[in-house]
Amino acid sequence: MAGLATAFGSGAMTNSINEIEEAELILVAGSNTTEAHPQVGRRILQAVDRGARLIVIDPRLTALAARAHVHLALRPGTDIPLLNGMMRCMLDDNLADDLFIEMRTENFHALRDMLYRLDLDQVAAATGVELQSIRRAARLYAKARKAVLCYCLGVTQHVCGTANVETYANLALLAGKLEKEHTGVDPLRGQNNVQGACDMGALPGVLPGYQSVHDLAARGKFEAAWRTPLPAEPGLSLLDMTHGGPEGPVRGMLVVGENPMLSDPDLARVEETLRSLDCLAVSDIFLTETAALADVVFPAACFAEKTGTFTSSERRVQMVRQAVAPPGECRGDGDLVMALAGRMGVPFADASPAEVMEEIALLTPLYGGIYHDRLEEGWGLQWPCPDRSHPGTPFLHKGAFTRGRGRFVPTVHVPPAEQPDGDFPFTLITGRVYHHYHTGTMTRRCAALDRECREAVLEMNGGDAAALAIRAGERVRLVSRRGSLTLRAAVTGRMGPGQVYTSFHFTEAAVNRLLGAARDPSSHCPEYKVCAVRVEKVA
Amino acid sequence: MTERVLTTCVYCGCGCGCYLHVEEGRVVGTSPSRNHPISRHNLCLKGWHLHELIHHPDRLTTPLVREDGRLREATWDEALARAAAGFRECLEHHGGRGLGVLASAKCTNEENYLLQKFARTVLRTNNIDHCARL
Amino acid sequence: METRYLLRKDHLLPLLRRLQKGHRLVAPARNRHGDTFYAEVRDLDRFHLDLDTPPQESAKRFFLPQQEVLFTYRTDGPEGYGFSPVVAPSPPTVYFGLRPCDLTAILYTDLVLLKERRDPGYQRRRQEAVLIALGCSRPRASCFCNATKSGPFLDFGYDLQLTDLGDRFFVEVGRARGRQLVEDWHPFFAEAGEEDVKAQYQVALEAAGSFERSVDLDLAVRALADHGGSDALWAELASRCQGCGGCAFLCPTCTCYTLRDQCLGPSHGERLRCWDACTLAGFTRMAGGHNPADPGRDVLRRRFEHKLRDSVRQHGRPSCVGCGRCVGSCFGGVDMLMAIERLAGEAEPPEEGV
Repeated sequence: MAGLATAFGSGAMTNSINEIEEAELILVAGSNTTEAHPQVGRRILQAVDRGARLIVIDPRLTALAARAHVHLALRPGTDIPLLNGMMRCMLDDNLADDLFIEMRTENFHALRDMLYRLDLDQVAAATGVELQSIRRAARLYAKARKAVLCYCLGVTQHVCGTANVETYANLALLAGKLEKEHTGVDPLRGQNNVQGACDMGALPGVLPGYQSVHDLAARGKFEAAWRTPLPAEPGLSLLDMTHGGPEGPVRGMLVVGENPMLSDPDLARVEETLRSLDCLAVSDIFLTETAALADVVFPAACFAEKTGTFTSSERRVQMVRQAVAPPGECRGDGDLVMALAGRMGVPFADASPAEVMEEIALLTPLYGGIYHDRLEEGWGLQWPCPDRSHPGTPFLHKGAFTRGRGRFVPTVHVPPAEQPDGDFPFTLITGRVYHHYHTGTMTRRCAALDRECREAVLEMNGGDAAALAIRAGERVRLVSRRGSLTLRAAVTGRMGPGQVYTSFHFTEAAVNRLLGAARDPSSHCPEYKVCAVRVEKVA
Repeated sequence: MTERVLTTCVYCGCGCGCYLHVEEGRVVGTSPSRNHPISRHNLCLKGWHLHELIHHPDRLTTPLVREDGRLREATWDEALARAAAGFRECLEHHGGRGLGVLASAKCTNEENYLLQKFARTVLRTNNIDHCARL
Repeated sequence: METRYLLRKDHLLPLLRRLQKGHRLVAPARNRHGDTFYAEVRDLDRFHLDLDTPPQESAKRFFLPQQEVLFTYRTDGPEGYGFSPVVAPSPPTVYFGLRPCDLTAILYTDLVLLKERRDPGYQRRRQEAVLIALGCSRPRASCFCNATKSGPFLDFGYDLQLTDLGDRFFVEVGRARGRQLVEDWHPFFAEAGEEDVKAQYQVALEAAGSFERSVDLDLAVRALADHGGSDALWAELASRCQGCGGCAFLCPTCTCYTLRDQCLGPSHGERLRCWDACTLAGFTRMAGGHNPADPGRDVLRRRFEHKLRDSVRQHGRPSCVGCGRCVGSCFGGVDMLMAIERLAGEAEPPEEGV
């Protein structure tokens, strides 16, 4: 998000999901869309069936890559040289959108100078992608009238995640593929309400609606509304909290509906940190790996037992409606917070979810016109929605960027923190599978999903498997500098040589134990897409 | 009598509109909305089985507190008192910097709003985050 | 010839109100979000009856619920194991406004679930059902029931069939229960005249002419029976399938289910019957992990062979009723229309006329 915010002033999907099916060209980067965002994948396939061109940037031969007109199977972690190469090709072919650059952007000269110093042969060597394909992709993207660029965690979960995003933003700005319907840059948000949690200011540096804690006026507004002074220095990010260790700054934590004991990198460190806390309170619907370490566990109501709103990847705020009563003594997390605030001597006024949304609308311009009664009819509202009469915003930056002009941010290649070597010759890529959601707490308890996908598998290339005498279905040991685990091998044409893939949904094969804590310095996004490992036969 | 309740799927950021089928206080089915702009008459396999997790026997149904190293059942009153005391102590010894909140991408907007308000006004800290990047 | 009747639209609600006294009433309703479903009518005055939009789901779940408890068990009973069957109530039900495709699907399901080994739950619910069809004057763009011979109007199978003639419904009596219903409430029904018969014929004619897609189902069925689809075709379709199961769940004639035991505590639990889908890998995978149907190749071959070939062999008709619900809902763009078109395209081109 940080990268897009630098470039455009706002870090969210610029288009609506349905705009994708009208695009003439779709560039998908670091996203196994058909599995992780099925409805977006559906639009992409529909567009391709109608004649749209598809470019996929992904080391794996995903279902979309198999249908792509150009598949750039880059070496993991080399997005920046690849994209810079594409942009250089656009300049060479005179395909940059000069008028757009002139009217709508700034800092172009810095980018241009950097691109002209680029050696395209080095790009091909660094990325492992033929120059011809890079040039073809550049031409297709630049020449399309309506081009959508979708990216996901394959772009952001690198040490250079923010720079990666900035580079993709540069590409879109250079080609003028923004500010229009069916044209834009669309980060796909993984979990159902990531967008909403960010919008609501569940972030260390911003108050609701991305109003910075540094911003005196914004802070003043909240201080007046909440009748209390607010801390002015940004807080710690998730990884700083969960990886602080026994000597870390945080001594007490409230964890609500999260499972860092499976979702975070370097799990041994997380466990050490959480065990050392003076007070850990967890609210969840199941006894997760994290809840099992807590001092206090609160039973939470699940989505079907409470009322509220979620905000989808396309900024659509929609109702979640109570269908049944919570079981036993379960309570919604809103009730928990209000009760806890009361116990701590700072009582919150008792408020229904609709009343909380009224408070949000009052203090958050993006949500200024979003009220539950408006969401009851119809299919939700897409922010920004500044007032009650506003119909919502299907695509962003119409006529002008949120920050005024789109900013080019020249970037240079940052190699992954850990490179394969003699001891650890494989690059491990981690991600998701179609049948499971995040740490599997919910989906693994669903019989139909469990039947479809019961365990983590290690996807590997046929040649690599043969060289190690590993047969499909055989159990193998996956070893990194931080740990090892065993899982079944799946021999597949999806993987390139020297690369292996697995998912993080399964606690018995908790792959995040293997991953290092390297992360992007600005977004704090961990490097989940590159880790050096070796694969061993289990005797 | 089966009732349909329109809600939003929890399994990814697409935001499908789907119906939960409620029969005598139990959710017994899930189906997509045809007119919803995203679901458009179909859900992924996860969505079609949304109802299966709701009444799962593994659900936590009472608060738990740790005693002699083990979690045991407790009342809400006791659990709240225990958490509040723990946080108050951290606050006294370390100030707001010693406390942290993990909100959630699975919680509603309203809950996340209350959580960050709680972190900032009660725990006096900006140490609030969630796993947006994971 | 069976007498035909007229039911004035003014009399529809009064009639339904009376039917509701002795029956559970299920009819298409439009909810406040704009979606239309078959739904149980509680309060007729607040029920938004929608006879214009074909409901987005068939009536399948009323006869075969998505999830149903078959029995509960305990292991700590007086005699050790104990099972208690769960028999959900199946009150007499009038299904009003069933579309011909959905009614045909029920008749087809009868062949599957009532012919040899009778499915007790289905049988109970089916025995108590009165089926009142509403002919489709305006098929949707995805409809192709003309090709599957299950609409837009039916020749048989219904208890009553209604045709919208503007201010009145033309009523045809099919089976005994329909005749009984008309007799019981005869003041509501007037005998139809020659003009009304002509008017109905005109509506049916116009409906039959208003399908947007021309679908050569017979050619596809013949092609499949003669030599099957090509491997390339099935591989292409399989590569598009993402295994959501939606086509099977939405299909009015798909009745495959799975059983699962849900443990509810240390000593008790329940057995559930749930919808299953042939496009899921777990549908055919065996305990040792081997899957006799290669998902990458066979997953849709089996589905379409079953629908268009095996059903014909076994029951004399394809198990597709042309409702079009799978059309456009597949994540990978596969649906019955696409399969029919591809299969027909692969068949020998018919002899060219001069």
